[in-house]
Amino acid sequence: MPFEKILVAIDGSDCSNRAFAKALELAALANAHITALAVEGPLPAYAATVGEVEEVKREKDSFFGELAAQARLEGENAGIEIDVDVRPGHAAELITRVAEEGGYDLVVLGHRGHFVRDRLLGSTADRVAEHAHCPVMIVR
Amino acid sequence: MSDIAIAALLAGTVLIASTISVEIGLSVALIELFLGVVVGNAFHLDVPVWLAFLGSFAGIVLTFQAGAEVDVPQFKREWRASLSIGLVSFFAPFAVVGLVCYYALGWNHRQAEIGGLALSTTSLAVVYAVLVETGLNRELVGKRLMSATFVTDIATVAGLTILFVKPTIWVIPFAAVSIALIAGLPKLAPWFFGRYGNRVIEPEIKLVFASLFLLMWLGAKANSQAALPVFILGLVMSNHYVKHRKEQERMRVVAFSFLTPFFFLKGGMNVSAGALWANLGILGVLFVAKMVPKFAGVYPLARRYTAPHATFTTLLMSTGLTFGTITSLYGLNAGIIDRTKFSLLIAVVVLSAIVPTAIAQRFFHPHLEHEHDHESAREQPVAPMPPAPAPAGEGINS
Repeated sequence: MPFEKILVAIDGSDCSNRAFAKALELAALANAHITALAVEGPLPAYAATVGEVEEVKREKDSFFGELAAQARLEGENAGIEIDVDVRPGHAAELITRVAEEGGYDLVVLGHRGHFVRDRLLGSTADRVAEHAHCPVMIVR
Repeated sequence: MSDIAIAALLAGTVLIASTISVEIGLSVALIELFLGVVVGNAFHLDVPVWLAFLGSFAGIVLTFQAGAEVDVPQFKREWRASLSIGLVSFFAPFAVVGLVCYYALGWNHRQAEIGGLALSTTSLAVVYAVLVETGLNRELVGKRLMSATFVTDIATVAGLTILFVKPTIWVIPFAAVSIALIAGLPKLAPWFFGRYGNRVIEPEIKLVFASLFLLMWLGAKANSQAALPVFILGLVMSNHYVKHRKEQERMRVVAFSFLTPFFFLKGGMNVSAGALWANLGILGVLFVAKMVPKFAGVYPLARRYTAPHATFTTLLMSTGLTFGTITSLYGLNAGIIDRTKFSLLIAVVVLSAIVPTAIAQRFFHPHLEHEHDHESAREQPVAPMPPAPAPAGEGINS
């Protein structure tokens, strides 16, 4: 069996949606277990008001809650049971850590995310590809 | 440049600041402040009267919101542990910066007091964001840190109101109306908001704004500053806002879309890039004068109350932004400090928001610190909770 545990990173961007679809296909072919990891990015750095932080946090929680529900639904529609894990943190760091700790044997992710910050210090995909302990599939 | 041309320019700047904030994940206030510096210096703009007025009111709204965002039940549970950290966090830099300004930099005593106040603050918002990201906001350490930050903030606003008062007969109505509003508004709010609230014409926001304008006016007549009563008014309203999230959200929408951007732009536009460049040495002195006493004062207490995250805690208590900006702008508007001193204070305030936070997150992130300090944490456990905790209420920051 080539892949038994697949970790797919999702953020709701077009690239990530394509990566998720590809991961579902692979999981179906390999009869693999799949986990969708949604990383809530950082809160506004150096905020001036608690309100700004709270509102962004609330928006993130709501967005990622919907994203998780959507991922589960798509998994069900494809006949694949998936776990969805939503965590706050730094995307590349968290994806590589979860992949290693969870013993995943493939990471799938889109080649770029939503915002400019995702590309400021090199893309998340580049960093995951560099640091992951297992094969990484980057979907365009 | 005409007023309307300036308004158009600033509206565009505010829009750009918002989009940059979303794209790069930096606080919109910091970007507004920075773009204010760019626009003000590039176009050689003086702050027009309407912007000065709008900015002053926005500062008061920010103060009210800061009070309303305090988790009062949590503070009641943690005030004993937080009081010492919060007070030392205020008084140590206030004294040292004040003395440095007075003796080393030759500022007069009122200017030195403004310097001390502006650099004594701790940013509740910066602390809160980091605590939420690390998950420490749910732990005792985080709750104590938030409460300590509140103590520092209230000491700052009290200093701002009390230190610069030149009493006139108007102090009496100012005090009387402050007390009446602080006692009366929380009682009036449920009825008034219930009867007139939840409408697009927003009578509840207008009630709050009318109260704030009244306090601003009476404060000015009394030769004082409305910061303290406004902060306390926010504080006594915090419980109401906890129960009525939508109201708080609408208030924030109004503030973030139309008021606070002009406050931070105004702050930035008053910064002289040339003055900063010419006084880099003084900038460094002021930065050190804020950081060293914060660290020296807070760290020993943090080892007692927030172990094993003492260094992390101390660095976060060294941050500052909103109240530092409010205090500096007050000093400038009241003619206490000139543009050069204002520019220096704002630069140090912004640096103090960024540098300690970045160091804390990069080198003393709780996961790392926990590993490093595991042994010392066992030797010096967190001090026990004060007895008889208050009934758990859902605080906004819990």
